[in-house]
Amino acid sequence: MRRIWNSITDGMGFDLVLVGLAMAFLVALAGLPLIYNVMMSFQEVDMFTLGSLIRPWAGLDNYREVIAQPEFGLILRNTGVFVFGSMIGQVAIGFALALFFMLKFPFAGTIRGLFLVSWVMPGLVVGAIWGWILAGDFGVLNAILKSLGIIDSTMFWKSDPRLSIWAVTIANIWLGLAFNMLLLSVGLQAIPRDLYEAAELDGANAFWRFSSITLPMMRSTLGAVLALGLIYTLQQFDLFPAITEGGPANSSNVAQYWAWQWSFQLFDFAKGAAVSVMMLIFVVLASAVYVWSTRHEVRG
Amino acid sequence: MTRAPMPRLLLVVALGLAALYLFPLYWMYVTSLKNGSEIFANPPTFWPRDPSPGIYPQVWAQRDMAVFMWNSVVIASGVTAITVGLGTGCAYVLARYRSAWIDAALFAILMLQVLPASVMITPLYVGFNQLGLLDYPRLSVILASAGKAMPFYIVLVRATFMTVPKELEEAAQVDGNSRWGAFVFIALPLARNGILVLAILTFMTSFGEYIYSKSIIQNPAYQPASVGLSSFLGPNSTDWNSIMAYAAIYVTPILAIFVILQRRIVAGLTSGALK
Repeated sequence: MRRIWNSITDGMGFDLVLVGLAMAFLVALAGLPLIYNVMMSFQEVDMFTLGSLIRPWAGLDNYREVIAQPEFGLILRNTGVFVFGSMIGQVAIGFALALFFMLKFPFAGTIRGLFLVSWVMPGLVVGAIWGWILAGDFGVLNAILKSLGIIDSTMFWKSDPRLSIWAVTIANIWLGLAFNMLLLSVGLQAIPRDLYEAAELDGANAFWRFSSITLPMMRSTLGAVLALGLIYTLQQFDLFPAITEGGPANSSNVAQYWAWQWSFQLFDFAKGAAVSVMMLIFVVLASAVYVWSTRHEVRG
Repeated sequence: MTRAPMPRLLLVVALGLAALYLFPLYWMYVTSLKNGSEIFANPPTFWPRDPSPGIYPQVWAQRDMAVFMWNSVVIASGVTAITVGLGTGCAYVLARYRSAWIDAALFAILMLQVLPASVMITPLYVGFNQLGLLDYPRLSVILASAGKAMPFYIVLVRATFMTVPKELEEAAQVDGNSRWGAFVFIALPLARNGILVLAILTFMTSFGEYIYSKSIIQNPAYQPASVGLSSFLGPNSTDWNSIMAYAAIYVTPILAIFVILQRRIVAGLTSGALK
């Protein structure tokens, strides 16, 4: 007994207690639910069996039924548009802003920091604000675009089935832009200055310096940012209930909102679990890329 | 890249970009100050003709915001307490050793960070239901959100502890301190700033938490402000000035904290953001 106590106050036990407490908590609230989720996706779950652990085995029935839904293809396509649209928008604009803020001018750091405001805003509030900006008849975006002569008829961002997924994507680009910019800025700051000075002495112009120094040096950062973008976009949920609720007619529904609808609007928890297991496959793929591109930092 | 010919001009461009980017926030405040007919004016007015701040107390009372905001504070405090309480020590140990086991633990934590809340909510809800935890809805949400917030916190606080020199602790141990003593009296005070910033970030993130609360808490008396907002928000909303007033009341405290601590938050994030 005394030996154990001594070890806890002054030896290996000390480390094990500190790591063990947090790990036990994480296993209980993230690890086990994850396994439970996979298990449920192979079971028949209804209101009567909700409280029991052992339920009738359903095999792949849940998956088959989910895939057979008429909206499955549409939701898959929307998820693709939402994920890749957001990632491209966030990285392209974020990279441009990160490059701009590398220039030397007064208050560059402070102004760049202000952009991060979007990152701490509750997702639902961001959704509410964009829902109002993108409103059809009275939205300010339509008014601005019209006065600039870019569009001449009103765009019904939220109720036109061809536009609704883009309405949520625009809001998500705004929401994630600042975080992308911050990560890319960190990467840019790590590139040694003398590389540019040497290239300049050799007479390389700005475009040449960008494509032969900046881009190759940023490869692992860009990989990490893209993978994180995929992960965070698949985590984005709050904007959907706030802006379109997946409608009209599922035209802006995506996998993560669909999974929630199965469980908490239709109370078919097994189908919700099945959809989310399919989503997890993509998340795991993205994490593999992320871990691969940050392997130096993790071990470093 | 290295030479900026006209810093003044660049400053103006930067301010322009920031104004463009922060326009949605401006629009939230401006809309909330307009009256019911002015919000539908065409073309829209970019400055309210007759600003009426009276809407704030009105929405606050009408929407029971005191209850919602209090619940948000309770949930965010609970999440922060659990995350900081359990996460700090774990981050410290993970920063002190290099071994295959530590790498494996870090990898597992990184993996837990990527799980979408919309994936986790189904098994958590069913599991909590079986354990009877749904009778304590706010506690359920606190536990679920803490599980979501902790990996991020551990990874970033670990980066902070990495900057604390090991030699200082060894010296303390030579002087007769136990491992606990070295941790509590040397490492913690030196990493204080980083821990504080990340605790505040954790608080702000859980202050806006929505999906767990929406799914788990059915009784309006325990719902946080995000769920309160969602109850009168949707594709067909029309009373935009009250929605924006509600949103403004909800986020202004977060924005104020962020602007005050902006410098430190950015530093805390960039030190370990990519790890």
